[in-house]
Parts: sequence; C-alpha cells; structure tokens
Amino acid sequence: MKILCTVKRVTDPEVKLKIGADQKSIATDNLKYVLNPFDEIAVEEAIRLRDKHQGEVIVVSVGPSDVSTQLRTALAMGADRAIQIVHAGELDSDGVARLLQKVYEQEKPDVVLMGKLSVDNDSWQAGPLLAEYLGLPQATYASKNDSLESDNEKNKVPGITIEGTTATVVREADGGIETLKVQLPAVITTDLRLNIPRYPSLPNIMKAKKKEIKEHTPQSLGVDVTPKVRVLKFELPPARKAGVKVADSAELLAKLRSEAKVIS
Amino acid sequence: MLPEAFTAALKRDFPRDFATYDPKELLELGKDWTKVYAPAPSLAVLPRSTAEVSRFLALCHAHGVAVVPSGGRTGLAGGAVAANGEVVLSLSRMRRMEPVDVLGGTVRVEAGAVTQAVHEHCAPLGLTWPVDFASKGSSQVGGNIATNAGGVKVIRYGLTRQWVLGLQVVLADGRVLELGGAGGGALEKNNTGIDLRQLFIGSEGILGVVTEATLKLVRAPDELDVFLFAVRDLAAVLALFRAVRQKDVTIMAYEFFTDRCLDRLLRHRNLRQPFAAPATHYVLLEIERQATDVDKFIHEIFEAALVTDGVVAQSSQQAQELWALREGISESLSATGLPHKNDIALPVGGLEAFCGELDALFAMRYPGWEICLFGHIGDGNLHVNVMKPDAMGKAEFLRETKAADGHMFALVEKHKGSVSAEHGIGLLKKDALKYTRSAEQIEIMRQLKRVLDPKGILNPGKIFDAV
Repeated sequence: MKILCTVKRVTDPEVKLKIGADQKSIATDNLKYVLNPFDEIAVEEAIRLRDKHQGEVIVVSVGPSDVSTQLRTALAMGADRAIQIVHAGELDSDGVARLLQKVYEQEKPDVVLMGKLSVDNDSWQAGPLLAEYLGLPQATYASKNDSLESDNEKNKVPGITIEGTTATVVREADGGIETLKVQLPAVITTDLRLNIPRYPSLPNIMKAKKKEIKEHTPQSLGVDVTPKVRVLKFELPPARKAGVKVADSAELLAKLRSEAKVIS
Repeated sequence: MLPEAFTAALKRDFPRDFATYDPKELLELGKDWTKVYAPAPSLAVLPRSTAEVSRFLALCHAHGVAVVPSGGRTGLAGGAVAANGEVVLSLSRMRRMEPVDVLGGTVRVEAGAVTQAVHEHCAPLGLTWPVDFASKGSSQVGGNIATNAGGVKVIRYGLTRQWVLGLQVVLADGRVLELGGAGGGALEKNNTGIDLRQLFIGSEGILGVVTEATLKLVRAPDELDVFLFAVRDLAAVLALFRAVRQKDVTIMAYEFFTDRCLDRLLRHRNLRQPFAAPATHYVLLEIERQATDVDKFIHEIFEAALVTDGVVAQSSQQAQELWALREGISESLSATGLPHKNDIALPVGGLEAFCGELDALFAMRYPGWEICLFGHIGDGNLHVNVMKPDAMGKAEFLRETKAADGHMFALVEKHKGSVSAEHGIGLLKKDALKYTRSAEQIEIMRQLKRVLDPKGILNPGKIFDAV
C-alpha cells in the first residue's frame, strides 16, 4: 500500500504571535516552527497502516527550504521518503490542493492522509479541495472508537480500517459517532483522537538523515499558486478586561442582565 | 491556649481581616506537602506589610506566642507545619513585585510572590530568576529563601542562596534587618564583616521571617533541547553523565528516574510511554542549544553505546511532555500510595558504590518493599521513596521506615553524604541531623538561635527540639 501523507510547518502554538508591521502577516522574528499537530497524527496513522499492510509512506510538504526540518521529523517517525515543494511566498489552501494534485498524479498512492486543519491558519480546506480536484471520495475528521488509553492504542493498531479497496473511517459527528466506508483511493483527514503520535527516537533521527527528500517547485509542477484569497488585515483580539468581585449570586445575576446582557 | 491579653491586642491593634480563625482555612494554612503531621494551629494571620509583620512579631514576643512562618507550603520536611497550637504567619498577601532593574539585573519582591509569577514578571525583559522546580506555581520567594530551595536547574545555577542579593528579615522581637546594601540596597560586592544574609537563607524560619528580597537575575537561556534516554542501569546513568559533561554543551538539567517511578506516573496521569520498549533507568537531559551541533551530539552518544534508546523533543509541547515525566513523579507517588521520602546527597563520584550498598541493605532487611528512586543525579542528589506496602498499616510503616532510615543514614554518613540535600530538616529529619552535622555544629546552631530568638517563639521544634 502506498500512502501519501502531507505535513505542514506551523508556528509553535506555545509561542505568542506578533502581527507584522504591514498588518497583513505574522512577524517572523523569533518564531519557532513545529510540525502541525494534526499532520503528526496523520503521519502516525500512515506508519501504522504501512506496518500492517506493507508498502511505503511518502510525506510531502510545501514551504521555504527549511521545511526540510519538519520533513526530517516525519522521516524520523518512520516515513520512508519525502517530497518537498520549495515555495517561499504566499500560499492559500487552493494553491496547496493544486500542488498536491500534481504530486498525487505522479505518485498514484492508494490513500492520501492529511491533518484536518493546520493550527496556524485554521482553514480546514486543503483536504476537501484536493479530493474535489482529484474527483476522489473523502472522509474527513477520522477518529476512532477505542479510547486513547486502550490496549489497541498502546499496541499501535491503526484507527482506520482498510480491507481490500475499502477504508472504514469513524468520525465524531454532532451527537454521536458516524462510520463511513470509502472506496480507495481516497482522501482522509485526521482528527485529534485518532492516535497518539510517537516520539521520533534518536536512532531513527540518525537514520532519517539518509532518507531521500526530492525537491520540486510550483514551476516544475506547472502550477500557478497566485493566492485567490487576499489577507486584508490581521488584528489581535481585544485585551481582556480585569474582572470584578461580586458579593453574591443576586448581584451576579443583576450584572449578567444589565451589564453583560447575556441573560434576560 | 493563647493569652487573653494577646488576642485582645490582636483585635484592637490590627485590621479586622488580619487574622483568621476559620477551622477549614487553618487546616490548610497549618500544613505543607508532608502527609504525616496533623495540622493544629490556633489561628493564622495574613499581614500586608513588613510593618505589620514587625508589629505582630513584637506582640508575639511580648506574650511568648509561638509563630510558624508560612509561604506556599510546598515543603517536604514539615518546616511549615503548625501541629502544636502555634500561630501561622502567612506571607501570601505580601506579593508585590517592583519593576525589574535591567541594568543591575535585579528585582525587589515581597516574600509572598509566587516563584512562577517572578519568572513571568522578568520574562518580557529576557531575564529570569533561575530558581526553578516542580512546585513553582505555588511556592513563594520567602519560602524558597528560608529553605534555600534547590530544584531541577541546580546543576546549572546552584541553589537559591546564590540568587539573593538583598534580604529584609524581621527578627523574633520585631526588629527589621536590611541585609544587602545599606537601606535596602543590593550589591554584588559587599565584603563588610560577616554576611548575615547567608545565615538566614536556609534557616527554615527559626532565626527570622523573610519579608522582602532583592533577587539576582540572569539572562533567560536560549532555545533548549530536551532529551529522554533509556539506559541499562545506574552505572550507565553515571557513565552518560560523565560523557555529556565532557562535551561542549551547557547542561541545564540532568535528571534520573527508574521504571517504578514511571509506572506509577503513567497509572496516575494520562501521559504517553516515551519508548516502544520499556527500560529500567531513564535520564532526562536538557541542554542549551547555542552553538551545539545537536546532530553530532546525538551521534556521539549513540556511537559510544551509552544509551539503549532516546528521544528528543521536537516542539515546546513535547519538551513539556518529557519534563512532565520527571516533574510529575513526586505528585504521582503521593496520589497512588503513601511514600516515605528521603532526599539525600552523595558526592557524585560515590553514588554508584552507595547505591550498590543501599540495594543490598534493602534487599536483605526489607525484602518486597517498592523503592522509587529519582533525582537530580548531576548534583549527587537522590530522592529515595519507599512506598507503603498495601498490606501494612500506616503506623507500622512509619515505624519500619524510621528503622530503615537509621540504616540508610549511616550509609550516607559513611559515604560522606548529606541526609537532606534540598528539602531541609524541618520536623521530619530532626533525628537525622546528627548523621551530617557534628555535635559541635549543632550546638553552635542552638547558640545562634538563642541570640536571635531568645524566647524561642520562631518555628519552635524545627531543625532541633525546642529547649
């Protein structure tokens, strides 16, 4: 089984972001980058599926040249080889999906695994757009029935079940669990409770250095990635005001009614 | 019972909310993280200024009322326990922090400032007060100073003692001393006679009450790399330490724990197993990245076959997760059973021989006991935790561990160690003091106590029995 898995470099969620001088970007000085946590889950799932069904895991990323750091992390987790599309400028979800479409056409994987969103832009778009452009079935927000403390999780059993050319995906829906069956090849996006990603071990970090990272550019793939979405302005949420102490529940209710106006 | 004249003066001369008699609050304020003593304070007071502390201590002094100074109460030796009807003097309301003096690299804070709040106060300026440990969210500066607190960064920065430039202390009779430069200043260099400031640091509240301090700050470290290694045995833990120390890296922390600690931690908290295959000994290493070639560093460690497995945090979140495996141990041991704690120090070079003899001792005399071993191994500091067997009663367990302690402390003495590396003596280790301090030294401590607190009202019965 050939699994294509996307990984995005995102700003470390632990670092406090600053808005750039142009008000349309995030200031990049002192930024730390990590692998998008949802993509980390996708990589973990890809590795488990590969270990169960044989085959290979190819990780792909789009971004500036130092995105190779995040690709190496995925390789150290256990992916077999990597593709990097070098692009330093702006990029929206549509551009990403069109680039991935080309990679898909070259690699012809059995399944594409992607994080359901990236924690920086929170767009949730790239997966569904890719499925649409490829005309493939999609199953979003893959989760699983087992808890993350279960023996299955400890034994690294994949949460996505593949039998023949059918994948069974469990997803959280409003008020319950929904089970989907999709025909492969398909695009599957991963949610938080699908698995607990492994730490890349140091021996694997060493081995990952020798694994192949193949480079492309949007030009070499023949894709125009001029953004269709234009960022007008970034703004920080208003600073939180200091709270006040109330004497009793009656005063609290009065304030909620007259000042906060959240109850009537 | 408190003298009537004392309680009358307390009501007359102090603000209405100065004291609390609420039994529930008293139970909280009268204890620390030790579980063995039943708190029984008569009342607790919460002053808002040094002047109030001074007036209150003068009143206690006049009436011979015993006082237990109290900070974040995260101590592990019973130093802040009020079990005999003492008055608890809580510094919690005194938590003001002055603006950071960037040029001097100092900050003046009140004793009740929480350690983590001090860190957050200094962080925007790229500075930090490098006293750091698992309980930093509760522990207070005054308590850190009174106990000369250690923690996980001692290997890099040393103990609290090294990071206090100025100190304001109130004596038992209410006199206020400014122990830095003149008039509350703080000097890096001040060789004018005996440095009384150092006398109060680590004195566990028996000589005076810390009310304010000028803290020395340091540049906050650059990016850190956090590693967790699986190693074969204690010898390998030490061999790895030797190897890492010879490399061109700045070690921020070198911590160790055993599989038993990890088992209890994972039973108590939902943290992920760090390695595919379990090991018996684990090392957490934190280094400052700076110019370190991390890849080369990793390569060399594996080439030398010093470890069986290892991971390195890929993000600050993973770094926190790895740290949680070490910092969560103490709490998890208490949550999953009753640990009898010992905090001993050995010369690093003598650790292996000591541990070998300790193993043999426990295997022979106390077979079947679960010993959870962890600690700041780079400082020669071991936390030896004996867990109460389920079948054994608490009273019997306390009796048995007391006997075991005697044997262990004799070993500590033989190997030129200390019976209390960083937790202090408090109530818990009084009997052990003699294994590390000579009779002459203890007598000088008592003489100092008599000079500064002639009536013996400050934290009586801590470190040694009251006379």
